[in-house]
Order: sequence, then structure tokens, then C-alpha cells
Amino acid sequence: MHRPSAQEFLLALLESLEDLPPDFARRFAEVLKGEDVDRSQAIRRLFEDFAGE
Amino acid sequence: MSEKVQRLVMRAFRGIPGEMIVDLGKGESIVVYGDNGTGKSTFADALEWYFTGEIELLSHEGRQHAMRHVGVDDDEVTSVEVVTNGALGGKALFPDEREPETFQAMRRETFLLRGRTLADFVNKTKTEKWKALVEILGLDAIESLREDFQRARNELRKESKAAEELVKQYRRALASDGQVVTHETVLSNLQQICEMLGVDPPRSLNQAVDPSWLTAAVGASAVSAKPTNQESLLGEIGALTTPTLDSHLLESWNALVSSERAALLPRAAVVREAKRLVETRTIGARCPVCGQSVNEKELARRIERALVEVMEASRELEYLRDPLVQLTHDLRAAHDKRLSLHKSGHAMGLNLAPVTPLPAAALQGAIDSLGSVNIEAITGYLADLRKWDAAANELAREASSSGPSTRDTQLVMLAALYEQIKGWRRAEDKAARALRAVTLADRVFDAYQAKQKADLTEILKRISGRVAQIYAALHPGEDLAEAVSIEPWTAKGVELAVEFYGSHQRPPHGVLSESHLNSLAISLFLAMAEEFNAQLGFLLLDDVINSFDVEHRGRLAELLAEGFSDWQLIVLTHDQQFFEHLTRRAPSWRKLELTSWSYASGPRTTQYETSGILAAARERLGSGDVQGAATKARRALEEQLQEVCEALWAPLPFRRGQANDKREIGELFKGVRRTLKERAKTLLESVEPLLKHLEADVGATLNVEVHGSRGRSGAREVEAALNRIEALDGMWSCPECRTRVWHRGNPDAARCKCGQSSFPPVRVN
Repeated sequence: MHRPSAQEFLLALLESLEDLPPDFARRFAEVLKGEDVDRSQAIRRLFEDFAGE
Repeated sequence: MSEKVQRLVMRAFRGIPGEMIVDLGKGESIVVYGDNGTGKSTFADALEWYFTGEIELLSHEGRQHAMRHVGVDDDEVTSVEVVTNGALGGKALFPDEREPETFQAMRRETFLLRGRTLADFVNKTKTEKWKALVEILGLDAIESLREDFQRARNELRKESKAAEELVKQYRRALASDGQVVTHETVLSNLQQICEMLGVDPPRSLNQAVDPSWLTAAVGASAVSAKPTNQESLLGEIGALTTPTLDSHLLESWNALVSSERAALLPRAAVVREAKRLVETRTIGARCPVCGQSVNEKELARRIERALVEVMEASRELEYLRDPLVQLTHDLRAAHDKRLSLHKSGHAMGLNLAPVTPLPAAALQGAIDSLGSVNIEAITGYLADLRKWDAAANELAREASSSGPSTRDTQLVMLAALYEQIKGWRRAEDKAARALRAVTLADRVFDAYQAKQKADLTEILKRISGRVAQIYAALHPGEDLAEAVSIEPWTAKGVELAVEFYGSHQRPPHGVLSESHLNSLAISLFLAMAEEFNAQLGFLLLDDVINSFDVEHRGRLAELLAEGFSDWQLIVLTHDQQFFEHLTRRAPSWRKLELTSWSYASGPRTTQYETSGILAAARERLGSGDVQGAATKARRALEEQLQEVCEALWAPLPFRRGQANDKREIGELFKGVRRTLKERAKTLLESVEPLLKHLEADVGATLNVEVHGSRGRSGAREVEAALNRIEALDGMWSCPECRTRVWHRGNPDAARCKCGQSSFPPVRVN
């Protein structure tokens, strides 16, 4: 059985969602790459950034 | 590739002081039998440690030292070496310095089920099951991201709520007279204040919150400010001045009007008329007025002198009189001003003192009558004026300092409203941004969870189908067999469920027995291994049938032997019947019996090279161990009769608990006879002599105490008994496939595995 990584899972999900802000998927993927940061805070900031744009 | 274990070498490990080797050929299955305490679980511990990096039982603090055999020397190395048919083999040394990543993939694989933890998964809460399943499915990274995502979303929600609350606070502050606060109502309030201040109101709130607008508005207010009545009054009081008194002027006036020259002034007209007469007419020697004789020239000179004096006095008088008249006017004006202020002040509640009456006669009268001025009265009046002014100014200061002016108040109101509007707009902007962030986060997060759930549901559906199949194999004929499933329960939970006679039971603990729950756990274990194992091709079951009755032990043995023939099964059991079941149903499996354990040498084993306990009995007999052979033979007979009774559903008396599975051999004979009598009378008649012989064997030859006292003569009897047991065994076994005739179906339609042998002796009738 194929066990997808979190990044694979997320990108598959985001590709299936319509009307997301441009560049949202790429920037979310970047959050997952940052290993030395508090990921929940990085996710929160990501949504705040897109809400302000 | 799924790897199988070919060789297991344990050294100074757990219950093994030296070295123990278990050879599994090319990766064949094995059943290991031994009583409790003979070291079976050491095998399971070795494989668990090698493949997961820990032994769950020893994972608690203070137990790790038990990985080593307690009696070995310090220089002895504790190790477990595993040889597989792939790349997973190797050697683990204690203390274990392998990196956690070594086990990460293998820990997700299902390969070990122990009796003591059999019900763990079944008994876990739905959340614990979810976590366990998530780890097995390798979804832990996805679940970890979900948890971080959820924390982020919760914080965004909290921020949005706080921002919305701040907006409400501003709205409450901006509300007046209970009005609903809108941009229009706030703009209207702002416009009213601007109107009071006389400045142009803003056209919109956006303009109002622009700092340049406020600066311009305050500036315009300063220019257009109109003082109020009170401000005017206070201003006038502040501006009061007292007329200046020139004492020298008054003194000069008084000196003039008191002099002789001043006396000429009333006669000035007469002197002017006399001068006109002298200049226009000839007077002669007599005065034209009184007739007295005069010298005309002398008269003319005297008139001229008088006229000069009068003119000089008159000029001096005029010189002093004008400023005196001005002073009179000033005093009256000052007096009238104060009377007016007194009156206005009274109307506004400002209690000014009464004004001293003006000493009009003291000045105006003196001017009119050319009299002396009462300087003292004038000076006193002016002093009173100054006192009044001082008192009025004091009152004015008090009135001024008692509160801000209306304009100041309006400016303060404007500034406060400006700040509130600015804060409100900022809060609204922040709340709108926060709401947008939450809306987006909710959408993505909900989709994330939905996908997680959908993916898991799909997996669970696959597992559920297989669990139900396995469970049905263990419990054929039960209505529950097809109704077992694993279902998602809440966002982060999964639970086992059964359809129990029309009702959905989730979890099933309330309606299933302990044995059924254990069957469910075994079914789940086997189904998950089939579904998810990618690297490990072996399954290890350590004493998992404790709560099973004899029938279900047989069914499990059959399931393992046939349903999992592609797997390498390593089955550890202390149950002899289960061991015999497996031995018979899986003749190709390796067998290993642990006979005892000692501190010095560890487990002692007997290799089962031939199948079955009967063969073992013959081996004992061949080696001269008559007593051991008799013991094995009796066990073989007991096991055979018990199986016959179970397979043919012999009507044995019910006993509570495990006693139901441990029958006296006499009971078993009775059970076989009753079954055959009811369903195969002809067969009973042919078997009866054999059964009687065997009963006699049990009472004598196979009675170990009796046999022990009879020396060598017992060997022949034991051999004869073994022959009889084998003969009885042949009645139930297929000569082709060696399986029993009840291998397929139930007693009404029983067949062996290959189908060539049925249960005709019973069906003959």
C-alpha cells in the first residue's frame, strides 16, 4: 500500500480545490519545507498573509 | 518483497544464557510448543527487538536491563541475529545503538500479536484506535500536519473573535441614545459637531479618518470661533480700564476759578460792548453810560486792558475746561459700562458687586458753574471703580477656570470622536482580515479532514471486508460473521462495529464474549498484515488462543494452515491441543517443543521431525523411554477423542470455564459412543471392540504409575496400545491428504481436505 507523505497529500488536496488564491499551494508547500520553524505559527501567518492581500 | 526469517540466533538474550539457534530453512512456518516458563516468548522478544528496536514489555523505565540474560558475564555480548531471504537481516547488539530511522518503516508493519496484548487494540478508545491505525497506515505525518493546521485555525478563530469583540466595543462607544451604529449614523454625528464648530463637515468616514482633515478642521474652527455671551462678558471684564485722573489739571482748574481773573469772565460781554462803542463812536468828555466826565483816551486804554485780561482768563479757562469735560465723559462712560456689566453678569449668574454712584455734581457742576472741582470725591470714585474692577476680574477668572469653553468642549468631542472612528475603522479592517483568514482556513482544513476521512474510509472498507471473512472462518454459521466492520467515528476516531441481531453495536464489547472479541482482534491483526505489510512476510502469534474453546482453536489452526500458507507463521503456544491441531493441519510446518527451562542452560527442546504426537511416542519407545512413550500415547488418545467429540458435536456434559476443555478420558469414550450410536450405529458395532481395548489400555498400559512398576514387559503393551490408537485415528483420517474427515463442513456433511474421504460411516445409516 502506498503511504503518501504529508506534502503529497496536501498538494493533491489543494489541486482539487477550486478558487484558491493564486500561489497559495506553492506557499503552503514552502511552509512544510521549513523544518526549523513552528509549523502551526507558519500556517497561521500564511492564512493571515493571504487574507490581507 | 516480503521477507521471511530463515534463521534466528540469540545470544545472552533474555532467558538464553549461551547461544540458541532456530533454523527455519528457507523461511518455513513453525509451531513452538512448551509449557509456561519454558522460554517460548524469548523468540518473540528477539524478533520484536530486532525489528522494532524495543520490547514493549520492557519499554517501561527500569526494565531495559532484562534484555540481557541476568546470569551472563559482563564481557558476554547480548545479541540477536536474524537471517532473512532479503535485506532486512542483520545483527543487533545490546545496548542498541541503531538509529530510530532504522525501524521507522518496519514499525508500521503488523507482525506480532501476543496473547497478553491481544485485546489491546479492541479495547482501545476510538481515538487510540485512530492513532494506532494512523501509525500503521503511515498517516502519522499527515495527521501531524492536520494537528498543526488545527492549532493554526484555532488561533485564527480566536483572533477573529477578539477582533469582532473590539468592533463591538467601538460600536457601543459610538452608540448614542441606543441608536444602531452604522457608517451613516456616525458620519451624521460627526457632521453635527462640525456644524457647531463652524467647520466644513467631512463627506465620508474615509475623509474623516484622514489626519489632514482633522488638522484642517481644528484650524478652521479657530478662525471662525464666535465667543459666547459669557465669554464676551468675561472678556469685557478683563478689558476694563479706569479713566486716568490728572490731579494737576483739577488743581489748575480750581486755582483758575478761584482767581480774580475769573471774576472778569462774567463781565467779558460788557467789556466787549464798551470796546465796540469806543471804536465806533466819539465819546467826548462824558461817559455815554453814566455821564461822568472822562478822558476818552484814558477810557479807551482802560477798556483795552480789561479786555486783554478777560481774554487771557477766558483762554486759560478754555484750556483747562476741555480735558475736564473729557474726564467727565470718561467717568460717565466707565460708570455706564460697569452698570451694564453688572446687569449682564446678574443675568448670567455672575454676581458682580453694585457700582458706586457717579459723583456727577463734583465735576459737571463745577464746569457749568465755573466752580471748584471736588477732587477728593473724584479720586474716591476712581478708587471705587478700581476695586470693583478687581473684584469683577476675580469673579471672571473663577468663571473661566470652572470649565472649558463650549468650543473647547466641542473640540474635545471632535477629537474623541475622531479617535473612536479611527479605532473603529481599524478594528473593522482587522476583523474583516481575520474573518477572511478564518474562512479560507476553515475551507482548506475542512477539505483536509474530509479527504483524510475519505481515504481512511476507503482503507477501512477494504480491511473490514477481510476482517469479516477471517472472522467468519473462525465463527462459521454465526449470524455475526458477515457483520463485522471498522468504521470512522468522529473526525479523529475509528471503532469496531458489529450488526448484532438487527442492532448496530459500536463498539461491540457489550454484546460479544471475550473469546469473540479475541477472534475479532486476531482477524484484525491478520487483515491488517495482509493489507499493509510491505516488507515483512512473517507473522508471529504468541499464545493467542487462551480464551478459545477447543473448537475455535481448531478453526484458528485451520485458518492459519490454509488461509495464510503464503506467509511464514511463527506460532508459539503452551496449549497441546492447539499444537496438535496445527501439527495435523499443517504437516509441512516445522515443530519445536520446549520441554523445560533452566537458569544455567536455558530452554531445552525436542525437535519434531515426524508429524504428530503418536510419532513422538514411538520415538520415545524406540529410545527405551517406555514411560515417556506411554505418556505421549495417552495424550495422543485424549487429544484424538476430544477432537472427535468436538467435530461430531458429541453431547458432553457442560462444565463452566476451562474445565469444559479438559475432559476425563472416560467422558470422551462415552461421548464418542453416544454420537456413533445416534448417527452411525453400524460403525459403532465395528469400533466397539477397539474402544474396549483402548479403555483397558488407559486403565493399565497407559497408566503411567502402573506401567512404571512393570519393567520391560510394558514396552510391548505400549506398542500394542499405540497400534490401536493409530487404528482408531485411521477411522477419521483420509489416507490421501491425512486430514480428518470433518475438515470441510459440519458433521452432517463432513469431508477431508482433498474431498476423497467423507464421513460415510456415520452417514451410512
